[in-house]
Amino acid sequence: MNRLVLKFVASTLAASSLLATPAAAEQKALADNLRIVIGSTSTGGDTYQVSAIVAEALSKKLGINAKVDPVGPTAALQAISKSADGSTVMLFHDQSYVGNLYGVRGFPDIFKEYKIGPTVAINPGDAFLVPAKSPYKNMEDVIQAAGHDKRIRVAIQPGGVSALGYTALKNAVEVRFPGKEGNVVPVNTGSQADKNQLLFDGNADLINGSVQANEQYTRLPADDQKAMRFVWITARQQTLQQADPEGLGQTSREQLLNYATPAVSVTLDGKKNFAFDKEFFFIYNADIKPEAVAAIDKALADIYAEGAIQGTLKKSFFIPNFMPAKDAQTYLKDKADETRKLIDKIK
Amino acid sequence: MEALFSLDLSYYLLVSLGVLIGIIFGAIPGMTATMAVAVCLPMTYALDLNHGLALLLGLYVGGISGGLVPAILINIPGTPSSITTTFDGYPMTLKGEPEKALKIGIVSSLVGGLFSAAVLYYFAPTLADWAIKFSYVEKFLIILFALTVIASLCTRLLVGIFSGVLGVWVSLFGVYDMAKGGNGELRIVPEVLSVFLENGFSLLPVLIGLFGLTVIFGEAEKGVHDEATTSVKLSKDKRFSWSVFKGQTINLLRSSTIGTFIGLLPGVGGSAASVLAYSQAKNFSDDPSKFGTGHPDGVIASESSNNGLTGGALIPLLSLGIPGDSTTAVLIGAFTLQGIQVGPLFIAEHTDVWNTMMLGLVVANLIMFAIMYYAIRHISKVIMIPKYLLYPGIMMMCVVGAYAINSGIMFDVWTLFLFGLIGWIGVKLGLEIAPFIIGFILGPSAEVYFVKSLESFGTLAIFFTKSPIALFLWGLIALSVGYSVYSTMKAKRASAKDTV
Repeated sequence: MNRLVLKFVASTLAASSLLATPAAAEQKALADNLRIVIGSTSTGGDTYQVSAIVAEALSKKLGINAKVDPVGPTAALQAISKSADGSTVMLFHDQSYVGNLYGVRGFPDIFKEYKIGPTVAINPGDAFLVPAKSPYKNMEDVIQAAGHDKRIRVAIQPGGVSALGYTALKNAVEVRFPGKEGNVVPVNTGSQADKNQLLFDGNADLINGSVQANEQYTRLPADDQKAMRFVWITARQQTLQQADPEGLGQTSREQLLNYATPAVSVTLDGKKNFAFDKEFFFIYNADIKPEAVAAIDKALADIYAEGAIQGTLKKSFFIPNFMPAKDAQTYLKDKADETRKLIDKIK
Repeated sequence: MEALFSLDLSYYLLVSLGVLIGIIFGAIPGMTATMAVAVCLPMTYALDLNHGLALLLGLYVGGISGGLVPAILINIPGTPSSITTTFDGYPMTLKGEPEKALKIGIVSSLVGGLFSAAVLYYFAPTLADWAIKFSYVEKFLIILFALTVIASLCTRLLVGIFSGVLGVWVSLFGVYDMAKGGNGELRIVPEVLSVFLENGFSLLPVLIGLFGLTVIFGEAEKGVHDEATTSVKLSKDKRFSWSVFKGQTINLLRSSTIGTFIGLLPGVGGSAASVLAYSQAKNFSDDPSKFGTGHPDGVIASESSNNGLTGGALIPLLSLGIPGDSTTAVLIGAFTLQGIQVGPLFIAEHTDVWNTMMLGLVVANLIMFAIMYYAIRHISKVIMIPKYLLYPGIMMMCVVGAYAINSGIMFDVWTLFLFGLIGWIGVKLGLEIAPFIIGFILGPSAEVYFVKSLESFGTLAIFFTKSPIALFLWGLIALSVGYSVYSTMKAKRASAKDTV
């Protein structure tokens, strides 16, 4: 008990010391208190989870207090705009540029107006699901139905990574059944709860979800109104193969691979399949001091070299994916350019 | 009982600490249970899941309960769900009965909390299955039902409805949030102001401004005279007695049930629970005219329902993985941080965590009662502080609370003052503040559910034809409005007779 209370008191003191800003910290590459704002207001989602794991590791490695602050995308970008000293940094995923590609208000071009930091992890769990009793057994059924004038309602969050899956599906229908892509229609929603509810009500044929949030629903008896089935996991095969063999819950990695490309084909151009890894990375103020960038890069390189973080990430069904800031900038810019082509094509 | 003894002392200490911190958060205007849980969530990373949940459940129960203190003593709801507590709690304070009002609120909170914990324990999976039958249409009708309270709260029906509609309109300022399925477009606000009002006005600065600052501005207008240096006298012959709960069983049960029921519907929110419970207590009362004048029934309804929400909101969280309210939406982070999935199979697959959570919830309610009931005698003396000392202190707390809400946005402080002024001037012009704020709180949910219903079904007729539940809700709405109008007319006739 004493150990537990001591740990708690220690973490409480660490958190409370965030209120103070020692002047001495200004002399260092990174302030003693590092605020990591994230592009989500949820503490139950993957962004908070990855950020908390990374913040904990950075705190231990650098002897600082790194705290995750779930403020949402607009507020997070505004916060780092005011922080050239690197005391506030942002951690988010591909939505930070996908939102801009879709022209969503509040999403500037992060490659022009901000500086890209290192990547840290991938969530290979982004998925699409149908009700257990759905006539569509797989994505091929969905594409065929749309191609034969059935209206397919897809619940997504507009401008998010889920919208990209919707766009890819629409594109696949256009490639295979030109002129029929209009049969794939979005149902714009926000939270996962709303998407699930649309499925329960029969107001969507396909919803975006995730392995983490929906795996238990896929294990319910088929006659349960809440029962669902995975039909598509959008991650790349080689990414999903890096997950723990146990998978998540009672669904193994091998089972999950049955829902990803190449087992599932949502074609991009008739030859290649669409696949997309949801990657988490840092975003900095455009004028952040280089020492701060180097300090975070070095700390993360050490953390990933030590290896403990890999276990923590994998336990929560994330794929560790460290790439230093400079490499990440080029890699993500290329990824964004590729994504732009798909979005522009289907506009 | 087995679970009771299987946990170490630190578990109970963490629940107690959580309750204490939660009460403090709830009691400070501008700080909420959600904020308390969010601030302490990272600390649970150092604890195991059971101990982390002990702390967070304590914060949740304490935070919801603490809101009654400023609502009763200084007419500022500590949390949005304690708005209706001000309606009768503050008039009781003005009558010299603050201790009585606070103790009624605390006992009602305990009853509501334990009632909802029992419902959670025995019926969680069944109720979760039932809750998913409530689609956008039914949720919109519940919000509409809650809005009918405007008819029973206002003194002049048309002005009250206008004030309520105005509140709804102001709540729609800013972007129709894409995270709620909106189109991301800016409404009502001119582009030049979008930098401040991108997300509209924050709820808590509006709430504190309209309730707290309006009173303070009113007092400032009177100027410093004798009254400002004195205070409310505590009435010794109006002390709390348990007999006040005689005949309140139905009120307590009805209000706790409403709180639990609203809690289990994700997205409807705690304010709707207390507003609905209050309006129904008034509608079922033998003498509705007493409500708003310092009637204990109003405090009982409000407080038992908002604590009833706690267990209710945990039902969809633990049975579906869907948070029932904003606080449980943060609470889910405790599971996420430990890498545990919460979904429809959670209870069956994590029986130990489930039992420990239930124990934590019950213990948190009992500790909340113990702390608040015995501390309240001293806390209630805050109103004995002369106003010239008390009001600047409150003003400072309001400013700090408003500034802290969104991690240091100065515009929230200006919002506080703006709505303080609007409240102060509005009252002079005849604006009804309570309907305005209820419209402001419920407006965004009403909009989302209304628009989503139309997007899903494409016809207005769906609101009448969707399901038997929808028809039942229309029946309740009609009854509520009809009864309120009837009561108002009856009161007017009685008043006219008295005048003659």
